Amino acid sequence: MQKKGLLGQLIQNLCCLPGVGPKTAQRMAFHLFQRDRNGAKLLAETLLQAIDKIGYCRQCRTLTEDSLCDICADSSRDSSVVCIVESPADAWVIEQAAIFKGHYFVLHGRLSPLGGIGPDELGLDLLEQRLRTGAIKELILATNSTVEGEATAYFIGELAGKHQVLASRIAHGVPMGGELEFIDSGTLSHAFNGRKEV
Amino acid sequence: MTETAVYLQPAFILQQRKFKETSLIIDALTRDFGRVSLVAKGVRKARSKTAGLLQPFIPLTMSYLGKTELKTLTDVEIIPPFVQLQGIAIYCGFYINELVCRFLHQYDPHPDVFAHYRKCLSCLSDTSKIETALRTFELDLMDAVGYGLQLEYDFHNQKINPLKKYHFSVEQGLIEALDGQFSGKTLQALKLRDFTDAQVLVEAKILMRTAITGHLQGKPLKSRAFIKNIIKDYKNE
Ligand SMILES: [Zn+2]
Repeated sequence: MQKKGLLGQLIQNLCCLPGVGPKTAQRMAFHLFQRDRNGAKLLAETLLQAIDKIGYCRQCRTLTEDSLCDICADSSRDSSVVCIVESPADAWVIEQAAIFKGHYFVLHGRLSPLGGIGPDELGLDLLEQRLRTGAIKELILATNSTVEGEATAYFIGELAGKHQVLASRIAHGVPMGGELEFIDSGTLSHAFNGRKEV
Repeated sequence: MTETAVYLQPAFILQQRKFKETSLIIDALTRDFGRVSLVAKGVRKARSKTAGLLQPFIPLTMSYLGKTELKTLTDVEIIPPFVQLQGIAIYCGFYINELVCRFLHQYDPHPDVFAHYRKCLSCLSDTSKIETALRTFELDLMDAVGYGLQLEYDFHNQKINPLKKYHFSVEQGLIEALDGQFSGKTLQALKLRDFTDAQVLVEAKILMRTAITGHLQGKPLKSRAFIKNIIKDYKNE
């Protein structure tokens, strides 16, 4: 099978998606060109538009095409309680479980002393600005239960303390080393109910 | 390299990074084989029992095999009981992990370093002992890898006098000086790993920083800069 030219390049590019190996990428590429050229065009256009327009919410840093995301813009939600998560996917999982009616703050990572990821890369300067205004009464630290997740929670907990804001860490239910994305909502609600002050 | 198969080797994870879709590459400190690179295949899948165990600072036993430098992890178990590091101690843990990564070559066996490392971790879980634990580990690590500090004699081969003061440089070691940063008393206490005197801890920190920095060949420790940046008003390393 020839892998040169645009087709080869497309197959290679599709491999950047999670769970897609060369075999699957090949199947996807052939499907798009043999059966669904229109779909392919639509996909390409949407992708281009999305990449152009989707950025970070100016308040919570989740992915959105507006300057303020739906959750931050929703006046029925409690903006004084903010849940700190590592990724937009984590926020999404918590939303699915429907156990939380506050706002989020998305770090897009976690503090990593050896990986060179510091507070600024996680937008913590932005969070601190918000803490300083006094509008936030409680932070719920829902970073993953990994060592780096714990280190991140500790740091943000200290930050909250500096501004006299209550900080709690989700505790029970999250298995050691567990990633939120993979946890069912029952476990998650347990984790939220069992949160404790740090 | 011939095929090696290692069973139930006591080990700690120093660093890990994501590898492909569901795997991890692990830098582990083993008791008998030193620093080892391992690939843990398929552990980042949902409900993987192994992923939770593959964290730094937890005493583990690891089984692995492989022909190349990168071995394949086949089994991992926790050795209970263990204390999980909390708060600032986690950052100190990252610091000693980085020290081990920087000063130990891969596949260079150092059971002594393994023992010092394990002891340091258990001391770090007691916040009041953090400084003592770090200084002790730094001294022991330097000794083990051949950068040990000569704490008994100065540059001119004179026995260290507890009543005198000394300068220190990596090249020359200790040199007696009236305005020296380090007292002979401190140096003698360090030899004995005796940190009961608060002044000893203060001077030891400066001394070890100078010694370690001198051996890093201009490439600073990431964790040190990190800790300095984020916890500006905290006194510990
Ligand atoms: Zn938002």
